[in-house]
Amino acid sequence: MSDDQGLVLTSQRTDLIGRLRTTLARRTEGRALALLVVVAIGAWITEPVVFTSYDVTLGRIALIGLVALGLTAVILMGELDLSVASTLAVAGVVMASIDNLAIGILAALVVGLVIGAANAFFVVVVGINSFIATLGMLFFLRGLGFVLSDEQPVRLSNIEAGISFGKPLIGDFTPRMLIFIATFIAMQIFMTRVRVGREFYAVGGNRQAAYDAGIPVRRRIFTGFMISGIVAAGAGAINTLERTAADPTAGSTVLLSSFAAAIIGGILLTGGRGSVFGTLLGATSLGILQVALTLSAVQVDVQNIIIGFVLFVAVITDPNSLRAVVGSARSYLRARTAPQPQS
Amino acid sequence: MTGEPRTTRFRLFGLALLVLGALVLAACGDDDDDTAASDGGADSEAGDDSGAAEGGGDFDVFALLPQGNDQPYGTTYLPPMEAMADELGINLTITNSQYDADKQASECETAVAAEPDLIILWPAVGDTVRPCLEAAKDAGIPVTVTNSDVNPEDQDLTEAYSGPDTYGQGVASGELMCELAGGDEIGIIMINGLTGNSTAIDREAGFEDTINEQCPNVTILARQPGNWNKDESQIAASEMITAVGAENIQGVYAADDTMVAGAIDALKARDIDPSELIITSIGNTFLGNPLVVSGELDGTVFQSSSWDGEHAVTVAYEVLTNDPDERLVEFMPSVKVTADNADDPSVAPEW
Amino acid sequence: MSENLAGRSVTPTTSDGGDGQQTAVTAPTAEAGPPAQVGIEQRDFHLLAWLADRGIIVFTLALVLLAAAFVDGFASVDNITDVFNRAAPIGIVAVGMTFVVISANYLDLSVVAQVATAAVVLIGISNETNIPLAMLLALGIALVYGVVNGVAVGVFKANAVIVTLATTFMGLGILRWASGGSIYFGPEDSLIRSFGTTEIGPFPLSMIALIVIAIALHLVLTRTTFGFMVKSYGSNREATRLAGVNISLVVIGAFILSALGAMIGGFVLAAFSNTAVSAMSDGFDFEALAAIIVGGTSVFGGRGSVLRTLLGVVFVSVLTNIMVLSGLGFGYQQMAIGALIVVAVSVDALARRAAGI
Repeated sequence: MSDDQGLVLTSQRTDLIGRLRTTLARRTEGRALALLVVVAIGAWITEPVVFTSYDVTLGRIALIGLVALGLTAVILMGELDLSVASTLAVAGVVMASIDNLAIGILAALVVGLVIGAANAFFVVVVGINSFIATLGMLFFLRGLGFVLSDEQPVRLSNIEAGISFGKPLIGDFTPRMLIFIATFIAMQIFMTRVRVGREFYAVGGNRQAAYDAGIPVRRRIFTGFMISGIVAAGAGAINTLERTAADPTAGSTVLLSSFAAAIIGGILLTGGRGSVFGTLLGATSLGILQVALTLSAVQVDVQNIIIGFVLFVAVITDPNSLRAVVGSARSYLRARTAPQPQS
Repeated sequence: MTGEPRTTRFRLFGLALLVLGALVLAACGDDDDDTAASDGGADSEAGDDSGAAEGGGDFDVFALLPQGNDQPYGTTYLPPMEAMADELGINLTITNSQYDADKQASECETAVAAEPDLIILWPAVGDTVRPCLEAAKDAGIPVTVTNSDVNPEDQDLTEAYSGPDTYGQGVASGELMCELAGGDEIGIIMINGLTGNSTAIDREAGFEDTINEQCPNVTILARQPGNWNKDESQIAASEMITAVGAENIQGVYAADDTMVAGAIDALKARDIDPSELIITSIGNTFLGNPLVVSGELDGTVFQSSSWDGEHAVTVAYEVLTNDPDERLVEFMPSVKVTADNADDPSVAPEW
Repeated sequence: MSENLAGRSVTPTTSDGGDGQQTAVTAPTAEAGPPAQVGIEQRDFHLLAWLADRGIIVFTLALVLLAAAFVDGFASVDNITDVFNRAAPIGIVAVGMTFVVISANYLDLSVVAQVATAAVVLIGISNETNIPLAMLLALGIALVYGVVNGVAVGVFKANAVIVTLATTFMGLGILRWASGGSIYFGPEDSLIRSFGTTEIGPFPLSMIALIVIAIALHLVLTRTTFGFMVKSYGSNREATRLAGVNISLVVIGAFILSALGAMIGGFVLAAFSNTAVSAMSDGFDFEALAAIIVGGTSVFGGRGSVLRTLLGVVFVSVLTNIMVLSGLGFGYQQMAIGALIVVAVSVDALARRAAGI
């Protein structure tokens, strides 16, 4: 996309466009924005319902995006949290198992915090890689969800409350969308305006330097995983409320789509680069794409091919990827033309 | 035995070429800077295709299914459904939530927003569909249910149900088991479907309730999930045989024919003659029917995917055109298939 | 800094995913060169270090002995065959994937799609034509997977998790779109069927295949230049590149081996049940990775071995077998595997730190 070319072609452009391109190159959201524009135009032409019933589309975006927002905090620190999908399921089961709704929701959120803290404990204190720690947690929590629920969906005791929770609260907005928007704003402010949040970038960008600069790296990692845990648990609570029951198999499509949203949004998995806004763009593109494909009756298999393709292209057109290709092509050519330095 | 549809030859070769082609294409696609555009192209193209395929219908209907071409049953459920829809002038839009209740709920919202004439719902998780039903009712869109019925308290929100009685299939398989046991004290092992899946839960409950009520002389010694897979079922069955001892087992129940085939292989691998055990299951599929004929599988319960798919549409059509006062219910007959009627054309396997 | 997650292990800051302090200590492990054991032998004997390095052998032996003593029916020929039947398909996938893990690329998620595709192609195409043609076609598809994943990760330096996630989406989508979800099953008298049902003593042919493949891949990893480069790339990719190694080819090679493992795993799975269906390999990705990790191969790359993976697979299979024999349900089985992963890796990390390696 344009930001990639910008690196190579800046000199040929006028000053204004050049500056624009440099800005784009520095931002990580460029590709997500371009994708969003194309998807939105495509959807507008083929399935205008996507926009006339924007509340439905927003609901889908909130479904994909909420977990992805929490995940962003962890990924920006260069860590991973694979346990989000099982966290969502377990939190839902715990919540539905408690008769009092308020206590149930509170318990679900506490479960999320505890899971996040446990993940962070293994990563920070024991010192194992977050990929493995959360992989173990993924299995463990999935099993726990089945054990707690006796392998069956758990119905809420207060079904009416669940049904009214799914209804619009303010205008066309259901509580889910409002919570999603609020979470986005809170995360955006936290990551850009609050010192603790900004330090996440330092932890992800160069951990040693963050250490040397006196940033409490361990505490930041704890905070990050707990954010991811509580947001996933909150998503589980919302799902359980809206569906009036908790399903221990829930979240089967959540893990992959929330990762996809973050990656398409330009978050670098090595940490340090990306933004909450990027995740929002990624989730929005995916949400619109899915709703449009659903409306036009495209088979789910074909939908997966399309989403896989978008993801593949998104990850290999990362500016660093293109630089790597250009770099290796150059060194290849140089090796061909210049005399070999050694065997 | 190898009752593969003829079209598979073409499709499999197509598959191979496509895997090669698409992956190579994907690999080359990276040179193309304008990635999003190419994706958007695919998007709108796909939209055009389906638009053309749908043709002009009298009614617009959304069918919210939890499976499709990703499962054996769905693969043979869809074509009769689509054919019947064409015949009756119904314009179908089909979704597949892959048994994710949250995804299906979102698809339901999408469907309601599209304001179709009717929604056909196959619940991914029965306990979770009430909000979807209420949303459709508020929008004035009638809902009919296919394959797995909604909970009793939600049924007044729907106009019709057609499909197998999933619980009843478990009951029928249990009745077969009771009949064949004939009052003898026997022990059996049980292989269930995918853990947490609603069909698996209902069949297990139907079978177990029937055993407990009608023949308490049959004891379930061990149970494990076989996840609808033959290989997993075979290993689980073999391990359960080890756990409870081959001499204590006089019967096997599996929640579908694919898994019972695995259990029968497990018995054979230990030189136990499956025809000497009482074995029942559900499905009467291409894999199960020959086992009934050969006497290894004593009884199964026919589930016709074509009946299911067709009736989903005919019942919906009935609701659309006649607006019946009562809730329409059409149960797929739970025909018990044993060696006596396994060759009967009326129970010819379909999937 | 490299784009790859595991690339961080190159810098002394983050090699254990924790914070700077501990990892500064562990960093030398990565640079100790491919045979990590060398570093240990040079030190005084240390029990913890010895355990950290050979834990999986001790744990597997202990588990087998305990099971034989306390679990009824465990120590029977039939049951050992069941353990091997459990282990073989996932094991063949895991030993291939070990190369991807050692090259510090985390895992190959697309094995789910690859195993199902190989199985469906083997049964479906051989029903229509013959077995060699089906295998050839499956081989072609496996090579495409290996090259596409390898090029995206090796040349484009894209993250392996996301690349293979994307190829999983595409691959499964294409498979299901083309084959439907139909169950394909072969004739009772075919060669595939007899491969799946033949046992030599307690060993099904699939387990013998796993052992042979594991030994072959072990030799590839320890005795060939390619194996050396995979390890060296996994522990320090920048140094490997500067040494003049064509690192793209190393990564492509690792993904091709993973794809070949997944293909044979698919064959074995299809032969065992004589059926193939596109949903049959669900969960293979993380289950294979779990076996690799439990075996003691490090996801930071550079450290690990194929034989360890073999042990890891046996360990997980024995554990699952014991739980099924004891009548524990699916939920408990999953919890145990999850706990096992965390405990195994924690013990490894703590022991290494205590031993100062």
